[in-house]
Amino acid sequence: MLAAAFALGDGGKIQFQRKAGAFNITLFSSPSPLRVGRTDFSVMVQNTASSNPILDADVRFHFVQRGVNSIAEVSAPARHEKATNKLLYAAQVDLNSTGNWRAEVSVQTARDSALVTGDLDVLPPEPPLLAHWPYFVALPVVAFLFVLNQRLKRRRRGVNRP
Amino acid sequence: MGANVESAASAAFESWAVDGRLVTLLLLSAIVYIRGWLRGRRLLRDQHDPLRLVAFLASLLVLFLANDSPLDAFDSLFLAAHMTQHLLLMMIAPPLLLLSNPLLPVLRGLPKAFVKEGLGPFLSWRPLKQFFAWLTSPLPAWIIFAASMVLWHVPKLYELALSSPAWHSVQHACFFWSGVLFWWPVIQPGPGKPRWPKWVAIPYLLFADILNTLLSVVFVFSGHLLYPSYGVVRAGTLGALEDQSVAGLIMWVPGSIVYLVPAFVLVMGLFTTSRMQAASAPQRVRLPALRKNPAWWKHAPLIRRVAQMAMLLVAIAVIADGFRGTQVAALNLAGVLPWIHWRALSMLALLLVGNLFCSACPFMLVRDGARGLSAPLRSRFSKGWQAKPPAPPSSQMSRLGWLRWPRALRNKWLGVSLIALYLWAYEAFSLWDSPWLTAWLITAYFAAAVLVDSLFRGASFCKYVCPVGQYHFVVSLVSPREIAVRDKATCQRCQTYDCIRGNQESRGCELYLFQPKKASNLDCTFCLDCVKACPHDNVGLLSVIPGKTLLSDAYRSSIGRLSKRADLVALVLLLVFGAFVNAAGMVAPVMTFEHRWHARLGVHAMPFIVGAFVLAGAVLLPLATFWLCSAANGSASEARRLAFSLVPLGVAMWAAHLLFHAASVWTTASVACLQILFLEAGLLFTLYLAWRIAQSHLKLFAPWAGVACLLFASGVWVIFQPMQMRGMMH
Repeated sequence: MLAAAFALGDGGKIQFQRKAGAFNITLFSSPSPLRVGRTDFSVMVQNTASSNPILDADVRFHFVQRGVNSIAEVSAPARHEKATNKLLYAAQVDLNSTGNWRAEVSVQTARDSALVTGDLDVLPPEPPLLAHWPYFVALPVVAFLFVLNQRLKRRRRGVNRP
Repeated sequence: MGANVESAASAAFESWAVDGRLVTLLLLSAIVYIRGWLRGRRLLRDQHDPLRLVAFLASLLVLFLANDSPLDAFDSLFLAAHMTQHLLLMMIAPPLLLLSNPLLPVLRGLPKAFVKEGLGPFLSWRPLKQFFAWLTSPLPAWIIFAASMVLWHVPKLYELALSSPAWHSVQHACFFWSGVLFWWPVIQPGPGKPRWPKWVAIPYLLFADILNTLLSVVFVFSGHLLYPSYGVVRAGTLGALEDQSVAGLIMWVPGSIVYLVPAFVLVMGLFTTSRMQAASAPQRVRLPALRKNPAWWKHAPLIRRVAQMAMLLVAIAVIADGFRGTQVAALNLAGVLPWIHWRALSMLALLLVGNLFCSACPFMLVRDGARGLSAPLRSRFSKGWQAKPPAPPSSQMSRLGWLRWPRALRNKWLGVSLIALYLWAYEAFSLWDSPWLTAWLITAYFAAAVLVDSLFRGASFCKYVCPVGQYHFVVSLVSPREIAVRDKATCQRCQTYDCIRGNQESRGCELYLFQPKKASNLDCTFCLDCVKACPHDNVGLLSVIPGKTLLSDAYRSSIGRLSKRADLVALVLLLVFGAFVNAAGMVAPVMTFEHRWHARLGVHAMPFIVGAFVLAGAVLLPLATFWLCSAANGSASEARRLAFSLVPLGVAMWAAHLLFHAASVWTTASVACLQILFLEAGLLFTLYLAWRIAQSHLKLFAPWAGVACLLFASGVWVIFQPMQMRGMMH
């Protein structure tokens, strides 16, 4: 009966949408906002003319962060199997530092290819206690219900006593 | 083009997002309902017709489809998909749920004690009953439903739900629960008589349909996009405005049907009321029959033997691979089976059933075999050795083993020492990483079991020596099943006491547990000897309330009173604190600390550093804790009893830790969530036990509650640290 409470939103936040050649490319990410750690990136590739999703493309993600003395890079192929919505291509990527990252999405089909880029702002990881706060809410709730339960029982015993 | 559309459609239909939490919840709901439905069917033959069961299962199926089917995957791309999802949540799942008349079956399906003690006070609390009666009366229910429907379709709120998974969940929960409230006055599920005349539901439904139509009109004819998010990404040829119109039509036509059909049925029903009254004949009540052991139960000893043989084969394979196979733990049976899978599976069995792994213990099979082979030699030798005449043939137990276990060792201190030794050796020599050492350990275990039980009577090895057994005994204190007598009166009439003495058919309990006086799973290996020996078929594997036996300090067969057993308290505290120490030993901050000292003290210092850590965390800390709590309680015997309340928390920490290793294929986030849930359940259970054992005395309860909270906090800290994934390729 509580099932509805577990229903989650789908897709994630749109990071950017670009038109490149024959493609209309939209990058989604989850969670939102982006934080250091594992992130789910998914991309929808559409035909610019018809808006139909293109499902047979070879899609790759490349994320770069340029620091003063260092460069961090992460690459990953995006696949339908990794996506909940099978019209999207998805990959899980570890972004391991805060700040500005450049996202590159390359798309290649038998006839065309395209590369789009965009900027992402990655925040520090959320403190674990904060990230899992819903799980800790149960404790005071159950404790309150128990106290109430005990009070009701005591009152009932008092009422039943001659 | 056509092929592209076809492949897009097929991709869309494959977009199932099965959420394990939701599926678990739905399955649990189904199990509880079916259990209660079957119980109700036994008691009241006519009341629970199969259609109600079908309605309940259908409502669960609709909830699954709404949340996990492609509808969910596409709800952020197509408003029409989202609208269909909402229609299922508000207008299909709730009426199906209420048609199943869920209250009584669910209450019957839940554990009786939980319903009586946990829910009972709330169910009979007058203000709550009055509030619920008010909430489910037509006017408030209608207003809440209408408010939920209208407010969540306001563009700002709808966009909020689209942009945040958390708000999206809140929106769906509002739709479902307001739907339940809305359909309550229409269906008026039991128990109790209907509170309103049926005709009330007719204008009620018609007004809802008017509201639904007005909202639909806005979607269909507004001419501008209500929710801009649906305009950003469009897949296929369906434009955002067309999508909005389709969503409006879905709301309008199927929505109206859902309101108008029941209204029509009710109108028709008003003309046939008299017939319906005649149909509701008085119910025949059937008393429940006294339960007996199920038919398969008589084969339980045989099943046990087969399980033992299977485990023996596994143990042989583990030993062989450990000695001869690759010494990479993750690729060796001796690295993976005992330390990852067996530990996790035995914990699962303990939490779901009971001490099944002691029941299937391969060491005991080998021991029994060795005893059988050495019986002629032993009897010849003992003729000249024993001054007393041999024991009567009915007591088979006395013929096994030569000597009685030394009186000084008839306690758990040896087991406690061996567990402490194990906790140290596991870390100091990285047993999990050495198949060769693991193989030696298992071989030594076989040798020790055979040697001890060949020399000494009964199951001395299990009762006093085996560290794994001691761990299982303690964990099984919170198991939901127990080997126990079905009918105490039968035992009172019994003159032979075969369950402990044995007979020609079977030996009696080798751990000296006399069934009528046995309480809890402590020292019970689930060997089923008592089951086989009982001539009255009066011993079974029964459901018990986990931990309930800890609430009393009654005398227990072969154990005595818990408040007098310092060795048992030491065992419990070692296993509880050991759970935290064992898990902490593999998290980054502790390992860094150990390695820093290792670098400082030299190459061979690691075993001593680990030894100091284990000694401090699993021995000295519990000792100090017990001493402080005992002083605060003002009574050592009360403190001894209260120490047992920590068992659930310790079990939870072991379970959370083993889950981490066993569920290496899951994502880290979901494992952490489950681990937190385990720990929370353990903490709440511990607090409850402490409160009940302390009999509401704050002076007794508070110190142990404080200890439990500190242990919980340290467990949460451990869970959130980077943990070494041992023994698995990743």
